Amino acid sequence: MNLITGIDVTADALEAQKTRLDIVAQNIANAQTTRTPKGGPYQREVVSFATELLQRTDGSAVQTVKVASITPDPTPGQQVYNPQHPDAGADGMVTMPNVNLAYEMVDLITASRAYEANLSYAKNARTLALKTLEIGK
Amino acid sequence: MIPATSPISPANPMITAMPPGGAGPIMPGGALVPGDGSQPASGFAGMLQGLVSTVGAKEAAANELTRQVLLGQTGQLHQSVIAMQEAGVAFSLMVQVRNKLVDSYQELMRMQV
Repeated sequence: MNLITGIDVTADALEAQKTRLDIVAQNIANAQTTRTPKGGPYQREVVSFATELLQRTDGSAVQTVKVASITPDPTPGQQVYNPQHPDAGADGMVTMPNVNLAYEMVDLITASRAYEANLSYAKNARTLALKTLEIGK
Repeated sequence: MIPATSPISPANPMITAMPPGGAGPIMPGGALVPGDGSQPASGFAGMLQGLVSTVGAKEAAANELTRQVLLGQTGQLHQSVIAMQEAGVAFSLMVQVRNKLVDSYQELMRMQV
């Protein structure tokens, strides 16, 4: 039983947006990484969401959100001429990761605003529950 | 309460003559002490106790989540704060029920006999 309405859905949404923020952090952190365990430069990852039916104990059902997949972006990375680089090819070219900082910043702002929106909902739902209890006063 | 009512019940023949099943909870003296009167009392007391233990369980769950966050076992800070808020709202609900109970008790104590 939830005393605060819809807080279970909001909790899942916060979790999903937090995963997205984590992936943005990972992409920005690896913006210069040219070596990965599977070989080649780092590939930026993209998070996608999916709805999931949440059956509550009181019988009602709501659609909550879950992370559907974290998939690598197949766009090829930029080729940079840098013969001193240890990962440079025979022609002196290095393949850099396909991370575009401008994209990542846009993703970061979108994800943090979405997180804030869900936080506002949580705050509002709590205020409503406390206001409802004031009926008895 | 019982010393106040027991001198009345033998003096009033109407009350002692009433059938025990009729106005069970209202009947003074006799109905409060034996099993007839304790049945609804234990029902409400049980409900109140259930409410208190539910609030206690919610607070314990919130404490456990906070402990896990502080120990670094989980990164779900929001789950911990949400559980705390939920416990807070449940506690407020319990306080409201208690306030109502005390109000009705005081109302009964003010009643003119």
